[in-house]
Amino acid sequence: MTATENRPTYAYVGTRPIRHDGYDKVIGKARFAADQNLPGQLHGAYHRSPHAHARIVSIDTSVAANMPGVKAIITGDDFPTLDAKHPNADTATNVMARGTAYYHGHAIAAVAANTRAEAQAAAAAINVEYELLPAILSIDESMAEGAPLANETNHTKFAPPGEPSNFSTITNLDRGDVDEAMDAADVVIEREFDCAHVHQGYIEPHACVVDTGPDGKASVWCSSQGHFRVRSMTADVLGWDKSRVKVTPAEIGGGFGGKTTVYLEPIAARLSEKTGRPVKIVMSREEVLRATGPAPEAKLKIKIGATNDGELTAIDGWMAYGVGAFGDMAGLIGAMSIASYKLPNLRMETYTVLTNTPKSAAYRAPSAPHAAFAVESVVDEVALKLGMDPVELRLKNAAVEGDLTAMGMPHPRVGLVECLEAMKVSDHYTSDVPDGAARGMAVGFWFNIGEESSATVNLNDDGTAIVLTGSPDIGGSRASMAIMAAERLGVDVYSVTPVVADTEAVGFTDVTEGSRATFATGKAVVQACDDLIEQLKGRAASIMSVEVDQVTWVDGAAISAAHGGSEGGEPLTLAAIAAQAKRTGGPLTATASLNAAGAGPSFAVHCADLSVDEETGVVSVLRYTAVQDAGTAIHPSYVEGQLQGGSVQGIGWALNEEYVYNADGVMDNASFLDYRIPVASDLPLIETIIVEVPNPAHPYGVRGVGETGIVPPMATIANAINAATGVRMTSLPMSPPKLLAALNKRGK
Amino acid sequence: MSRTHVNCIVNGDEVDFLTTDASSLLDALRDELGLTGAKEGCGTGDCGACSILVNGRINCSCLMLAPEAEGSDITTVEGMADGEHLHPLQQTFLEGAALQCGVCTPGFLLAAKALLDENPDPTETEIRYGLAGNLCRCTGYDKIIRSVQEAAVQLKGA
Amino acid sequence: MPTIHLMTHHRPFTGGEAVVKVDGGTVGAVIDALEERYPGLGEMLRAGSSAGIDGEVHAEPEYVPVSPDTTIYFLAPLVGG
Repeated sequence: MTATENRPTYAYVGTRPIRHDGYDKVIGKARFAADQNLPGQLHGAYHRSPHAHARIVSIDTSVAANMPGVKAIITGDDFPTLDAKHPNADTATNVMARGTAYYHGHAIAAVAANTRAEAQAAAAAINVEYELLPAILSIDESMAEGAPLANETNHTKFAPPGEPSNFSTITNLDRGDVDEAMDAADVVIEREFDCAHVHQGYIEPHACVVDTGPDGKASVWCSSQGHFRVRSMTADVLGWDKSRVKVTPAEIGGGFGGKTTVYLEPIAARLSEKTGRPVKIVMSREEVLRATGPAPEAKLKIKIGATNDGELTAIDGWMAYGVGAFGDMAGLIGAMSIASYKLPNLRMETYTVLTNTPKSAAYRAPSAPHAAFAVESVVDEVALKLGMDPVELRLKNAAVEGDLTAMGMPHPRVGLVECLEAMKVSDHYTSDVPDGAARGMAVGFWFNIGEESSATVNLNDDGTAIVLTGSPDIGGSRASMAIMAAERLGVDVYSVTPVVADTEAVGFTDVTEGSRATFATGKAVVQACDDLIEQLKGRAASIMSVEVDQVTWVDGAAISAAHGGSEGGEPLTLAAIAAQAKRTGGPLTATASLNAAGAGPSFAVHCADLSVDEETGVVSVLRYTAVQDAGTAIHPSYVEGQLQGGSVQGIGWALNEEYVYNADGVMDNASFLDYRIPVASDLPLIETIIVEVPNPAHPYGVRGVGETGIVPPMATIANAINAATGVRMTSLPMSPPKLLAALNKRGK
Repeated sequence: MSRTHVNCIVNGDEVDFLTTDASSLLDALRDELGLTGAKEGCGTGDCGACSILVNGRINCSCLMLAPEAEGSDITTVEGMADGEHLHPLQQTFLEGAALQCGVCTPGFLLAAKALLDENPDPTETEIRYGLAGNLCRCTGYDKIIRSVQEAAVQLKGA
Repeated sequence: MPTIHLMTHHRPFTGGEAVVKVDGGTVGAVIDALEERYPGLGEMLRAGSSAGIDGEVHAEPEYVPVSPDTTIYFLAPLVGG
């Protein structure tokens, strides 16, 4: 680890205790959503659209309804119609079509039956009549003049009310005078790029069990990154008050942004309501790939101008993101993510466009990987043209506090320079490139978010503590909550039990996304501990018969010079005070909640050594290093895990992963066999270097780390391939057939 | 509906269950025997999350029909520990932070056990190829490989 | 008076001005003042935005207090995955 400021000495922050929930996970006891079963439960299955775009003329469920074991069938008619401006209107249509199928795999109807097989058989027997509509299947088709509409309910955001459109956003960012700077530049490099859809690839398919009682209240167990959002979305889609939905988060088997929305829960809730039985729905892998949100596809053009001494003076870009059948802001976010360099002159023309494919969902740092692939590839070309070391070029231009981000706001304290310096002196970067291999590097950025979190800390009368939060644990965060509480209270980390609590047991907490859990929920935990410490001091004052302002809290104990007579006084430990909780006023418990401001961005710098087999186009990654600014690493093993996981997802995105659609908009490779994610034999060890430039807005300096790791890998790999072969790959994935074709074109 | 009666040994115990001929062994383990450690990640034998040992060999339980288990000796993740004593792999996975979400972990533990049972002194490359049938999306495999290496050292020394 | 920086898609309301100054003791009051001077802008800013205020990003900053020398950067809502 590379700490850059006077690092405080911590007792638990920065240590690597075995995570509290780990034992259950290694003995097979941990309960994921599909492991949950309720007595009398039915099973749900879907009838999905076989067409990429079609009007639903009629749905005939009569045959299906009479099939063995079938208890209920629902369609879009079983849900209220939300106002077009309702924030969950698109979600409501996505979970069950309302008159129009917008993509192959769009849910048309759902069946509840005694067994999964019976439900599937009945779902297949539902007879739907369609009127085919023209399907938009690419960014180019979507943007073409006079193109048919992919979704007739979509209107362009941030624009005066107008006609429906295929454009969800049309936005520009700019600063300075790009044309003047480009004219004056000594070197100008321009390239075009394209990126296919990729899936988050979580190993656990979506699953839920919902039990709607006769009182109209639904209890939900589900796989989700945010159970409070599951509650809101489910309630909104059903037209219910939020208090009618209780959501308990099961352990989640991966999300990476893909489980920040709902697909199953409102359907299961309605089926349960109609049948009076619990309903369990588990997606198949094929359904996950055909009908849940991949990352957007994108086309980008990036032009960068530089002076001969390596100053990047201007960037001019065009980006179009295809986000499936419902609108979002991917294009704008992609441009906003360009934040690594001073670049005094900037112009980005951005578009978000719709296609008749599944609604996109976030995949770690949404939109940033595409933008960084393009920008970092062009920066690499600039370095080559100028004969400059790529790390040195980036150091010369690296954004620091006060430099403007693309969205206009100056950076707060950030650690890109520190990360570049750490890479520069790293064992990897200072060692020779192996024979027959070549090296590439790139940088990445993500904003990270704050948003709302709550935490409750309850002290038991034996001095142990329970920390309740509402942040589903997708990568070890509950261990970090325990560590922060232990540090603050001054107690052993194993005397703290971290719990991820349901929507009725803890205050509102936003989704575990945006790298926010350790930052924002951590802040809430620390605040709750601070509140508890004030209470403990008050109780200690009673026990010691002193004034409360004569009590201080040191190393897990109350101490008062006025107590015990000796200098410094006799400390009263947390456990000793907790044992007297009833006598001194009652149970010791504290709650804190906040809308966390000041999330600190996290920069990353990656480097790869790889070799290219020029006969097959296969790339072998021989060595990979990920440097990233964590602010302060609460649990370094889980910070390292985020860096490694993001890197490998990026390597898969770079080298192999893509959605292959046929001419009818049907995915050809909807299985893990043909949608090939990296396996252990594809990879080397992933070396990590944690840089710590503390974020002043968090009591321990935390910056979120979960997302940035996926931003640099594609350009890192592309830059290394270019160094190895002289070929600049601009289309993702850089898979063997495409690389081979490019090598053949290059010649020997 | 006719169901097949299957007798086999699971984690050292004689068990029996009823199943349909179309059910997978994975379904039977999870739904009839309540052993939910093995997970369905794909249902097509591509992810290894359903890995179990059948007569000492690693197998995708989603690819076995439940009646095929008749007479077999099956080990699931629930059978790896000895009472309160974890298998060294389970311990090194915990200490090495080789799990993030944990859904692939049961499959990896059994695949690693099968690997080390057959090859107690594998190279890093042999471990990587030995575990290539198990997908992990969270960890990038690094800490899994290191934990298997550490367990191999411990098992050799034991 | 607080200084307000606007993103490009806000500027059609201000005739292209990227930086404006209006009075207000909270971000919400500033938005009201912007709506009064540039009809439609306030409504757009309120439709879910984040704001950078003195170096920190706030989500839905309606009642965040501002002083005369505060600089506010209105941003598109920041997201994550």
